[in-house]
Amino acid sequence: MDRHWEEETGSKWAAGTWGHQPPSALFHQLPSNATLRFRGDKALAWGAVLGEWAPQGIPQAWGSEGSKEEVAADMETIALQQLPLCMAEKRRHRLQAQKQAGQHTRWQQWQAGQQRLRRKVGSILLHTQLWRSSLTCIEGHFGTGIEAYFNFLRFLVLLNLVGALLIGGFVVAPSITFEALRLNQTERANLTANSPCMGYDPNPRGLVSYFTYVMDLLSGTGFMELTYLFYGYYQNSVVDVVGFSYNISLAYLLAVLCYFLLCLAWIVHRSVHLLKRGLVSEDGALSTYSIKVFAGWDFGLTQPPAAIWKHNSIRYELKLDLEEEASRRAMAQRSPAQRAWLYTLRSLINLLVVALLGVAFYCIYLATEYSQSTLSQQSVAQSKSKAFWELLVSYLPSIVITGANLVVPMAFGVLVRLEQYPFSQEIKLTLVRSVFLRLASLVVLLVSLWMQITCHGQTEAFDCRTCGYNHRHFPCWETRVGQEMYKLLVFDLLTMLLVTLLVEFPRKILVSHGPALLARLWGQQEFLVPANVLDLVYGQTVCWVGASFCPLLPLLNTLKYILLFYLKKLTLFSNCRPGDRTFRASSSNFFFLLVLLLGLAISWVPALYSIFALPPSQACGPFRAEPSMWNAALLAIDGLPELARGFFYFVGSLGFIVPLLLLLCIFLFYLMALADSYSRLVKELKMQLQLEGRDKVFLVNQITELS
Amino acid sequence: CPQELTFLTKQEILIAHKRFSELVPKEERDQILSARVPKDKVVTLPELRANPFQHRICRVFSTADVGDDSLSFEDFLDMLSVFSDAATSEIKSHYAFRIFDFDDDGTLDRKDLENLVNCLTGDADGTRLSTSEMDQLIQNILEESDIDKDGTINLSEFQHVISRSPDFASSFKIVL
Repeated sequence: MDRHWEEETGSKWAAGTWGHQPPSALFHQLPSNATLRFRGDKALAWGAVLGEWAPQGIPQAWGSEGSKEEVAADMETIALQQLPLCMAEKRRHRLQAQKQAGQHTRWQQWQAGQQRLRRKVGSILLHTQLWRSSLTCIEGHFGTGIEAYFNFLRFLVLLNLVGALLIGGFVVAPSITFEALRLNQTERANLTANSPCMGYDPNPRGLVSYFTYVMDLLSGTGFMELTYLFYGYYQNSVVDVVGFSYNISLAYLLAVLCYFLLCLAWIVHRSVHLLKRGLVSEDGALSTYSIKVFAGWDFGLTQPPAAIWKHNSIRYELKLDLEEEASRRAMAQRSPAQRAWLYTLRSLINLLVVALLGVAFYCIYLATEYSQSTLSQQSVAQSKSKAFWELLVSYLPSIVITGANLVVPMAFGVLVRLEQYPFSQEIKLTLVRSVFLRLASLVVLLVSLWMQITCHGQTEAFDCRTCGYNHRHFPCWETRVGQEMYKLLVFDLLTMLLVTLLVEFPRKILVSHGPALLARLWGQQEFLVPANVLDLVYGQTVCWVGASFCPLLPLLNTLKYILLFYLKKLTLFSNCRPGDRTFRASSSNFFFLLVLLLGLAISWVPALYSIFALPPSQACGPFRAEPSMWNAALLAIDGLPELARGFFYFVGSLGFIVPLLLLLCIFLFYLMALADSYSRLVKELKMQLQLEGRDKVFLVNQITELS
Repeated sequence: CPQELTFLTKQEILIAHKRFSELVPKEERDQILSARVPKDKVVTLPELRANPFQHRICRVFSTADVGDDSLSFEDFLDMLSVFSDAATSEIKSHYAFRIFDFDDDGTLDRKDLENLVNCLTGDADGTRLSTSEMDQLIQNILEESDIDKDGTINLSEFQHVISRSPDFASSFKIVL
């Protein structure tokens, strides 16, 4: 009997799946199949089922007569909203719950009250989100992929605003108030007035024409240099009024550090719940096809043309994935000779890519050096053309960086097609290379600045011997770095404005009113999400790097991003069509935050290095005449009572850090072992589930045969 | 009050009331709680008119005894509650399963999946996938999602797959 059954069903199992449901009426009566064979208010069928399926503590088998008492204690704490029933049924259960209400303990009633309060607060917060209607409109027209970009932009605006308030509130506002109130500020350091390091006077001399003002506004020099915008203006002083003491230098240091920590915490918090799902699966299998089909349709689309576009895009994506799978299977069957040739080709192209990057970086380095050395020897411009030339020279690093970021990714796009990767991998590879180019060009700029400020790192070189830094060319080096970042920010904004006005709008006009051939060849502008996101991350990294030297930079960045939001929205609705290949909103959200974290990590390095290792300028700034910026904090700690001082010294010593690191390593290994055991457990459970399925089919068939 | 029974806020319920009363003929407007709107009028709503699952949505949320898929105001609120921003992922995936179950038999078999893919790609002659592509696609889906290998996807397998997709909740959303 068994063997007969095995033979009969053997072939079906070999195929792996049933071709059709086993023809048995009994099958349809099983509880697991009876779940949804109803609609509307036939909720009595649910009663039999909810006994097994009981998420979040729904009590067993309610709906049947005898168990109303069991319903009692938990009903109130379960949100009625979460029951998948129609309204009439929910009302019936609420009446039941209210009958039991008197039997509830005060703890449960308090819990229910807390849940109601949380729900109310949540709904209020949801409604007060910034730009909520704009985002819904964009989603309705263009889908969630592009809406993710605007969501990210909104997040950056909020991040910058809070950062600006933090730094402004603790550094800028006190400085302004103290100066306005003309409070007595005691200088904290003894400065030798005749030291060669003290020669710093950026005030413009003589008659200043108006175009110099414009040039100064654009490059942060001249009248803008000694303002609250830059580091150099702040005093190294303590204000001691009746019982209130405020140390400006300590406040500056702590505000900058707290700003970085706040950004880190906020970004990590935002990306944690994206990481929990989707990217971490117990057996490593990514159900890409299932997710594309089950979660593929965007229910928020309201416009018929957008719906047609979405149909096309889903079909295109599915076809592409199936083609890719077929070609992958074909590629796996290549001969060793073909494979060897392909690998040599790929390594050659990678070398070419590295060479391209090297050339770009070298150009940036040369531009920075030329620009800085010319600026250090400038005199007040007497003619308009000379002033314009000087502006061009001071913007030279920004121009070269932007140029490299326009030209080199195009070369990447051409090269990657020669490497014969599957299409989705092509996109990812180009993206990784573009990210590297963007962030590394900023790093090269900073490194070349550092080399000039510290005479290539040699403190014994002629120029750097007296003050520890190149005081002839950089009397106030922090302000100079701040100015570079300010110029990058301004140029970024100008570039985006010009590209929108001079490229995108004319393209739309030409394509819609010009010859049809042009429309077919060039086509309407596509809103490319990854490229735009990289622009945002680049701008934010510039802001972070500059924040320690230019306290008002986060505020300027906020304004820039607000302007950008409206600009991009305008160009989206007037000029763009949605992309052919949709960017999965989820993975892209995580990708955006990952690249942002990378930018943050890169911006930590110059900030920490200048706080701990570089000597601050002696002629300007809140840390003049201190050996290092961190010294202000050390002095403050020394002023604390005995216990607090001992605590801080202990926390900073090796005796605390080494055991902490060891403990973290042990915890890490434990978590890895735990994850491994969980994945093994899941595999075993899956096998068991398959066996149970087979058992069920076998038993049902036996029962049908016997009856 | 229906506010506790749905995920909607009071404001959203008022907006829903306004939109529903526009669908109801003038004579029945003062008895809106007992009026039923036929399916043909419901699918004229701008939020549903471009949706390929409009008929399934009406079918799933309708509590009409006669099976004409008409929606009462309470059904309408139920629908908006499930599609709202605040609804949990569990209830969304539960109703998504019901919507995708074209033959209402409690599981997603090959025919259901085929119908689903055709709805997604547009159900006209030029827009469907070819037979071989469809077969390969359904094979891949069953391989990924069918844990007990019985050839169909039941509710828990569906919810397990959906839980891996973080943007399901944001795409399964209709806001008036």
